[in-house]
Amino acid sequence: MSLKPISSPVPVVWYPTLAVFMLAIGLIVTASFFIYEATSSKRNRSLAKELTTGAVASVFLGFGSLFLLLASGVYV
Amino acid sequence: MKRGGGRGASSRSSLCILISIIVAAALLSTPVASDLVISKLDRRVDLTSQIVRITSTLKVKCTGPEPVPEMLVAYPDHQAKFMNLLLSTATEGKGKPTGSVSIRPVQPNGVPPAHTWFLLTFPKQLETGESIIINVFAAFTRVLQLFPEKITQSENQMVVFQDSGYYLSPYLVKVQSLSFKLPEGKIESYTKLENSKLSKNEIKYGPYENIPAFQQSPVAIHFVNNLPFAVAKELVREIEVSHWGNVQVTEHYNLFHGGAQSTGEFSRLDYQARDRGAAAFRSLVAKLPARAHSIYYRDAIGNISTSNIYGDNTQTLLQIEPRYPMFGGWKTSFTIGYGLPLHEYLFYSDGKRLLNVSFGCPIDDVVVEKLIVKIVLPEGSTDIFAAVPFPVQQSEETKFSHLDMVGRPVVVLEKRNVVPEHNLPLQVSYKFSVFSLLREPLMLITGFFLLFVACITYMNADLTISKYSPSYLAKLQWDEVQAAIQQVQNIIYRSLTIHDKLEGSLRDLSRTGDVQVCKAVRKTADGSFKELSKELKPLLTFLQSSAQALPIFSKVDDLVAKERDLQEKVMLKHSTVVDSYEKKSGRDIENKIILIQQKISTLRKELDELLDIIDEI
Repeated sequence: MSLKPISSPVPVVWYPTLAVFMLAIGLIVTASFFIYEATSSKRNRSLAKELTTGAVASVFLGFGSLFLLLASGVYV
Repeated sequence: MKRGGGRGASSRSSLCILISIIVAAALLSTPVASDLVISKLDRRVDLTSQIVRITSTLKVKCTGPEPVPEMLVAYPDHQAKFMNLLLSTATEGKGKPTGSVSIRPVQPNGVPPAHTWFLLTFPKQLETGESIIINVFAAFTRVLQLFPEKITQSENQMVVFQDSGYYLSPYLVKVQSLSFKLPEGKIESYTKLENSKLSKNEIKYGPYENIPAFQQSPVAIHFVNNLPFAVAKELVREIEVSHWGNVQVTEHYNLFHGGAQSTGEFSRLDYQARDRGAAAFRSLVAKLPARAHSIYYRDAIGNISTSNIYGDNTQTLLQIEPRYPMFGGWKTSFTIGYGLPLHEYLFYSDGKRLLNVSFGCPIDDVVVEKLIVKIVLPEGSTDIFAAVPFPVQQSEETKFSHLDMVGRPVVVLEKRNVVPEHNLPLQVSYKFSVFSLLREPLMLITGFFLLFVACITYMNADLTISKYSPSYLAKLQWDEVQAAIQQVQNIIYRSLTIHDKLEGSLRDLSRTGDVQVCKAVRKTADGSFKELSKELKPLLTFLQSSAQALPIFSKVDDLVAKERDLQEKVMLKHSTVVDSYEKKSGRDIENKIILIQQKISTLRKELDELLDIIDEI
């Protein structure tokens, strides 16, 4: 029986950096999503583009907020 | 003859039954008198804290013909009632450990009352003439009787400890000695037997020789003990494991001073300036692991800033001061918390995760009346098993924390009367899949995505109630017009980029002189222009027919016309330049195109203005 120490999947010291960058990217994509929603007219809008932008933004915001929680000491 | 024989047989059989009953009775009751002799006995009683620790070293010899597997030890009831821990080891000859000694409580016959008996089973049977050294360690709390029970601020706290000067044993004790270690040299009184001796902070009794079995001689010591009698009525330790890299420990203390009750008033001046209050304690020190981080100390009103952290490579010491000095009977409750790096406490072995953390209270010399250790495992852990080196009460519960859906499994371990000797590592093994680790980010992502989907639905939904009202219809038409204008704009932008491409090809030409490439670019541009004008046609007819577009149609038309003009000019410029390159008459290119160039720039300017105007609509 050998014991192997378990560490976190991502080194703990990277959490703040990851949080900042992923949230920044996520917020930029979110901004572009809302700009697109507000400027394009109803007929010209493409649902696929809306959904992909939303999905990309939510992946970045999701991981970004997770790392933000971890970096601030809320270990989920 | 026959009859007589019958009678004789029956009387013999009844005798046999009687004898067997006697033998059975003798076997059932644990034998007290035996062939063991304690050839040397040394008892050391440590009274230097609120916990009384008695270490007895017994050299046991077997003198009878039969091998002996076990022996009896006794503690008086007034001590045994408060016994927290009883450990025993056996050593052979020169301190070489030979194995563990199992202990179980028994109730033998024919022994003096008011004693609790324990049966120690040797690692192996003791043969005739052999001897073995048995170490017995026992820890007691609350056996130090406070005398007086109430003191004022300036008085010392005094306690009485009672024991027997001779070791109570069912065996003959050849040589025995007893020593008491005291916290400080201040002694009110102590029982003087023959051969008793008081040195600085130690009282020695003995050696006494050939004390027969069951002989006792009470001994009492009345002495000053001003050490902190910190007792935790309840301590809840919550150890929360996160596979994202942390083991969070939170400890809720409910502490009181278990020493002599404080009477009279408390004077802060006397306490601080005249140093009165020897029985009170000001601070406690918690020994935390070396890599503990994010340490905090707070109570119900908030953070307590009177704390200090220092330490070295092996441990972190957290010195905490309650908000007031603790006098006898005074209470305080607070919380300390710290994080530990995951890789030092969590291991992987045989498909299972193994958590290795310490059980007891990290503060020195605190007696815990009720210790509850809660081990919170991550959501999705299964097959949980906790291994503790001593008996505890185990149960399971669920805890809801951040981003939980079904709750985290919690192993609850409960033990009463815990002393620092119980501070041993415990192991919890469980199964956990890596997918469960991704549950939290997936939840967050889903949450954000639902927000976006809600936005999309709201923007695309038609929430008008009356679908046939003129204003609604007008709005619909206006939307169509807007869409058409946007498309027209798009087409214009696309053709403008083609213009830029053509200009770029001209610049390339002046550098490389490759006419063929330039021509190819023009050809593709020509094709794209045709396509764009094809796309433009239906839009323009729609805009022309639509009533709503009337006010801006002129502008759009103007825009399209200007663009076409510009397009022609650009093509003209392009062909002129290419032609002159082909004829190698490079000199007058500039002159030839200067007029065209002027027109192009004015048209471009007008076009940009028009686009701006349309944008504003």
